[in-house]
Amino acid sequence: MATIFGEAVDRIGGEPISARMARKAPIRHLDPTLLLMTLALSAYGALMIFSSTASKQEAAGGDPAMFMKRQIAYIVAGVVALLVVSFFDYRHVRALAPVIYGVTVLALILVLTPLGDVQNNARSWFNFGLFQIQPSEFAKLALIVAMSAWMAERKGDMRWLDLAFCLGMMGVLSALIFVEPDLGGTMVIVAIFFVMLLVGGAKLRHFIALGLVGTVAIVGALQMDVIEDYQIERITAFLDPDPDVRSEGYNLTQAKIAIASGGLRGKGVGSENTQTDLDFVPEQHTDFIFTAVGEQLGFVGGAALLGLFAILIWRSLRIAAMARDTFGTLVAAGIAGMWACQLFVNVGMTMGIMPITGLPLPFVSFGGSGLLMNFMAVGLLLNIHMRRFL
Amino acid sequence: MSRKPRKIGTRPLKGRGKRRSNASPSAATASSKTLGIDRLRLRLLVFGVLLVMIFVALFSRLWFLQVLAGDQYQALARENRVRRVESEPPRGRILDRNGIVLVDNRPTQSITIDRHLIDDEEIPKVLRRLSKVLEVKAKELRKRVNDGTVSPYKPVPVANDVTEAEATQIFSYKERFPGVDVEELQIRKYSYRELLAQVLGYVGEISQEELEESEQFSKGYKAGDIIGKAGIERTYDSWLRGKARIEDIVVNANSQVVGNRIRQFEKPGNDLVLSADIRVQEIVERALADGIEAARGGGYQAPDGGVVVLDPNTGDVIAMASSPTYNPSVLADGITQKEFNRLGARTPTPQDDALTNRAMASEQAPGSTFKPVTAGAALANGVIGAYDGLDCPGSRTYPPEGGPGSVVFPNWTSASLGYVSIPKSLEISCNTFYYELGWQMEARWGEAVGVGGDGSERFQKYERRAGFGEPTGVDLPFEQDGVVPDMDWCKANSDIGYCPDGWLPGYTVNMSIGQGDLKVTPIQMATSYAALLNGGIVWEPRMGFEIRKPFPQDQDELEATQTRTKTDERVDDGTTAATRPAVTEQVDLSKSKLVKEIKSRKKSTLPLDETQIGVIREGLELVVGGSSGTAAGSFAGFPLEQFPIAGKTGTAQRGETGENDSWFLSYGPADDPGYVIAVYVEQAGHGGTTSAPIARQIWEGIAALEGVKGVDTTDVSLASDGSG
Repeated sequence: MATIFGEAVDRIGGEPISARMARKAPIRHLDPTLLLMTLALSAYGALMIFSSTASKQEAAGGDPAMFMKRQIAYIVAGVVALLVVSFFDYRHVRALAPVIYGVTVLALILVLTPLGDVQNNARSWFNFGLFQIQPSEFAKLALIVAMSAWMAERKGDMRWLDLAFCLGMMGVLSALIFVEPDLGGTMVIVAIFFVMLLVGGAKLRHFIALGLVGTVAIVGALQMDVIEDYQIERITAFLDPDPDVRSEGYNLTQAKIAIASGGLRGKGVGSENTQTDLDFVPEQHTDFIFTAVGEQLGFVGGAALLGLFAILIWRSLRIAAMARDTFGTLVAAGIAGMWACQLFVNVGMTMGIMPITGLPLPFVSFGGSGLLMNFMAVGLLLNIHMRRFL
Repeated sequence: MSRKPRKIGTRPLKGRGKRRSNASPSAATASSKTLGIDRLRLRLLVFGVLLVMIFVALFSRLWFLQVLAGDQYQALARENRVRRVESEPPRGRILDRNGIVLVDNRPTQSITIDRHLIDDEEIPKVLRRLSKVLEVKAKELRKRVNDGTVSPYKPVPVANDVTEAEATQIFSYKERFPGVDVEELQIRKYSYRELLAQVLGYVGEISQEELEESEQFSKGYKAGDIIGKAGIERTYDSWLRGKARIEDIVVNANSQVVGNRIRQFEKPGNDLVLSADIRVQEIVERALADGIEAARGGGYQAPDGGVVVLDPNTGDVIAMASSPTYNPSVLADGITQKEFNRLGARTPTPQDDALTNRAMASEQAPGSTFKPVTAGAALANGVIGAYDGLDCPGSRTYPPEGGPGSVVFPNWTSASLGYVSIPKSLEISCNTFYYELGWQMEARWGEAVGVGGDGSERFQKYERRAGFGEPTGVDLPFEQDGVVPDMDWCKANSDIGYCPDGWLPGYTVNMSIGQGDLKVTPIQMATSYAALLNGGIVWEPRMGFEIRKPFPQDQDELEATQTRTKTDERVDDGTTAATRPAVTEQVDLSKSKLVKEIKSRKKSTLPLDETQIGVIREGLELVVGGSSGTAAGSFAGFPLEQFPIAGKTGTAQRGETGENDSWFLSYGPADDPGYVIAVYVEQAGHGGTTSAPIARQIWEGIAALEGVKGVDTTDVSLASDGSG
């Protein structure tokens, strides 16, 4: 495997990485904007988690800040992970790519066994008592790293075989995530795959071929009833929203009402008798957190959140462009694509322009695995940015 | 710090951004080795454009939802969480002039079905289950569910008066009865069954037309409101209905109540005191029913009739009856559209309509009861002096000079009855006497060509002044105008075949004895007679008397009322037997607070002096008390010396069919009248045949109420005389 992926050290002329790092002092080339955006989004998220759970927690006799406190703990853990990831030269990651990919696949297989924990009808979690790990979150990063490593080796000259190999890597991950089932996670994996191909040098004919294969696969999946009816119903609900309480359109209708009723300035954080406060929107501290933003902070708050993401993604893209090597470029572009995809699908679904799938909003939604993974992604970006002269 | 000129596509990738130009060339070559740099930059650019599109989509959608469509969604959010709950305020009671409760409310457990909460396919199943529990046919329930008179936004009551056991059964198997609920509703309770049915009217859910009308006149009704639909319930609806308590309840997604705010406090409806005296009403209705039954036994069709009793001094309506009648309880307890149609809205013949109040909505020719009006017009206009007289031949021909086109108008007897005074002309109901008065008026002021009138139509003007040709303005809805035929009427109706040759003198001659196209309502007749008794005042009669603050003021009375209500739970309907409730519930009016007095308005005054009125009244007294009076037979044996009655019979020919409508107008005591009574029965023979006996029966009852001794209340034999 090592020969396939190549060595991380071969481009630095045998000089020890630590020595080079000391000389070029990566810490001097930090991207503070990126870091700031990350922390701003996380803080924004924690606040919205508080405002959307406090009254319910209080009503249930619990600690109103319980979810926020846990999220802050995740953020702290995330910062640690960020530091660890950014500390070691990212080219080690390139070398480790096969291992990372392998461990991820193993974890995804294990989570499907009784070792995995079922929540919301999906077998997606490892339960360690105090905390839970959702391997599908880490699979996103694993795919980015693995594809970047492979495609960096090809130097933008993709052949059919490379395409097949990347498709295979993506296919294994998406299939394992799909059967959990985690439709949203699967969609992000596929999106990452296409972004990587786009940036990494796939040719038009490759995309055409993939389009054909994809169409056949989807038609086949529908024919063979691989996708559950409720999933189809949920995905297509946004095309024909039916406010009937019993239908799948309910979530969407309530989410839209929540966001739109916020108006320009919103109803204020923690205001009473809102869609948020009265529990009309389901999963509001996780997948539907944007509805809390929209209702309480209005267009101003929603646009600010989108603005933070815009800067975050712009910084990622900038890092992709500035990276020292193709691997770095591809990793950074993949991360940007991952975030953009999650943002678009998540926010889009609450506003009725994308299908409803279970998908958290990066940094903002409640959840440890996603947050940890995203902080690691930021760590990688910082890593690439800091070491662009090394 | 010089920058190299930029040349897209040739510059090393890592040269983008903040970078000094003295970058190591080895790094640049290393980078360009890894990938076609220009292509990578191009690809990143494509990716960047994609990302920009994503953000544009999100931002614009957010702008659309929150700023452009925000208002609409704010309303939706409000609807989501705020449930407006309105109470049904207790409707005011309706009392008679002595405080006797005629209409009250009673609570009933109702089964309702909310058509929103139940799938269409499920309805038959649920109805089958319901029919088992309630022991009502499923078909019957189905009719109620499909009732178009209930707005689709409200649960439909499908069964009233559900027992506790039945309600429990439904509650304990709630999942088997989706959309079904048991609600406590207040419905109207009619203590006197049929009595005063058409006057009281009924309540029901507001219709689309009524709603539009309400918006037009800003009455403040809204969809689903229960309002007075007919009768006094309709006229005084704004007083009776009260104000609902309006409460906004905030609920969460699980419909749990999390807060509330009261927007308006409840205000019960006011009590309405009627001028009607239920004792007289009972007498009147019994007499009308008996009289119609007797007429039918005598071979007449007598399909319908009406009676009005007025107080001539005040314009108060003391009683008002219409036949056929119905029990308003059936409407309160719930009725299907079909049953409602059968009751009145769509009956085989108009005569079967039990909802119409014939005392004010039936327009017919008045026959000879109109003669005092003709006499009044002639006196007022100087055609005849109060002590003058005229011949009463067997017939008169008009124009008097004869010739082609002349018409012979006969009296009821071919014999000549000689020269008669005005009182005598009324006593014997001489037609030829009144033909002449009519002719004289036509000849001076008529519109007929070639007769010489100046077209000022003074006869018709007097009739209008006496209250004909327009509604009396009684405080009841759907009153009819009647018709006073004149030139304008001819013109307006020529297209439907009236007056093909313009105004003819014969029209006036016919009108003088209450025939032809003249149409009046019983209440118009009663009002015009009342004017002869009160010095010429034509009243706008009133059924409403007072508005009073609801509910007994002192505790004793409250308790008394409650115990009474308990003993009088529910009345069976469908029987024509005693209409009197088991217990009479009476409110001490002196103890309740008066909110508003309703007074009759003076509409006009007759242009007659005391002498002129005196001769007419003398004639009317002779009709009953005179030896040859046309109603003398009907009042044989009545203690006239203690309770003198005066009146006038009327026999109106119905077109060419040979059938007659029977009229009798009367008042008493004749020297100091307290009541004036108009009786009308359709197709029931002469005035003396059916209507005068009905009036006699009423007078007997009234005389008994007034404490007159020696009233023979045995059935009065059908008196038949030939006069009209």
